[in-house]
Amino acid sequence: MRRLLPPLITGILALILWELFVKLGRVAPFILPAPSAIGAQLAEQRGNVWDAALASGANALIGLIAGTVAAILAALAASRFTALGEVSVPFAALVNALPIIALAPVLNNMFESTSSIPRRLVTAIVVFFPVFLNTLRGLREIDPTHQELMRTYAASGWTFAVKVRLPGALSHLFTGLRQASSLAVIAAVVAEYFGGLQDGLGSRITSAAAFTAYPRAWAFVVGACLLGLTFYLVTLLLERLTMPWKRSLIS
Amino acid sequence: MSAVDISGVSKVFNTGTQALSDVDLTVGDGEFVSLIGPSGCGKSTLLRLIADLIEPSTGTVTVAGKPAGQARREQAYGLAFQQAGLFEWRTVRKNVELPLELRGIGKAERKARAEEMLTLVGLADFAGHYPGQLSGGMQQRVAIARALAVQPPLLLMDEPFGALDEMTRERLQSELLSICAKTGTSTVFVTHSISEAVFLSDRVVVMSARPGRITASIEVELPSRDDAGRQSPAFFDKITEVRKALRG
Repeated sequence: MRRLLPPLITGILALILWELFVKLGRVAPFILPAPSAIGAQLAEQRGNVWDAALASGANALIGLIAGTVAAILAALAASRFTALGEVSVPFAALVNALPIIALAPVLNNMFESTSSIPRRLVTAIVVFFPVFLNTLRGLREIDPTHQELMRTYAASGWTFAVKVRLPGALSHLFTGLRQASSLAVIAAVVAEYFGGLQDGLGSRITSAAAFTAYPRAWAFVVGACLLGLTFYLVTLLLERLTMPWKRSLIS
Repeated sequence: MSAVDISGVSKVFNTGTQALSDVDLTVGDGEFVSLIGPSGCGKSTLLRLIADLIEPSTGTVTVAGKPAGQARREQAYGLAFQQAGLFEWRTVRKNVELPLELRGIGKAERKARAEEMLTLVGLADFAGHYPGQLSGGMQQRVAIARALAVQPPLLLMDEPFGALDEMTRERLQSELLSICAKTGTSTVFVTHSISEAVFLSDRVVVMSARPGRITASIEVELPSRDDAGRQSPAFFDKITEVRKALRG
């Protein structure tokens, strides 16, 4: 509770200042709506926000899972075959530097307009790189003592990978996954700006803005924000459940 | 049959360094042998040759009458390093169980054997802890329990107490001796410390560097292997003898 209090108070103060700034400064609502107006819209539109968040959340989740599974398999392969690893890392870094979200319109043209696949594909690609790069780093950091021990146990390459490499790489994997979880929501929301099926938070934000209903647009932005936070917190929770030895270190 | 038989072994690394030159060494059944010498004398290399972690350039290494490679695959020895090398994601008991697991031993028997070994090193109460929650000395005891888990006839140890403080070190030395006596395990023990070598060993093998070779082999007889033994004149005489041999 003591750790939660300072950020909570800061947040509430910021909201009050924002409200005062808009009200007293007579800021036009199309430039910046007051938090009270956004809150009112959020309450009024809560059904719509919820439905849109579910749609975007499903896209983000499916993309996140697909991208993570692909990234872990790729990292295992890259750590197993040295040549593959040497080629893939600079390549991954280069592709990661591209604005992958910009692929959305291209992908939208490849599939039907009622298909959810383009958004999920964009999300999966965005997720892939942080997870791949971090997991690969973890897989490569092997304690030489562990390596010698497993040799004295006459352990096969597969046993070694499952019993030593993978659990040893878990904390790196989760570092990647924490980045990826927020990125997944951003990708799933923003991908809708470029067309495709319009049932998520992204399309609601653009259409509300197009109707100059700015407080409503902001209400959906708040929804997107909460969705991203949920993804991040669930990842944190998963991390603690998966690695009980870390938790016992802290306590 | 001797626990370890090394004859005519030389080791030249790919870099061209001659690590060992014409080494002969026999470790008897149930014997405790220490290898001591300055850094770079090849004592760790010799231990790794016995463990079949590296191969000799010339000569042969047999463990319990079998070639070193076969002995490794049959887990005919247990190994402990200076770093405990525990797996942080496994509980203490699961760490000790690992070598048994890889041998395909059933769950119930693994658990029983691990608990037996942990009792032996005095850590039965910590079976459910993670290594990160233990002190350095306790971690090293877990590593020893793990090395003993398959009940190997031979124990190989590379400065296992090197990173510990003097008090813990002396306690673990006594524990190790009583474990070896109880289980009848033969031991090859690499160390930097003269007093440690003398206190533990039936025989101290002194090595010298560049190229690594054996320069002396000193039998140690102590009236007792306990605190009284550490105070005995025989103990100090042997320390002087080993020190002289080290200076050549």
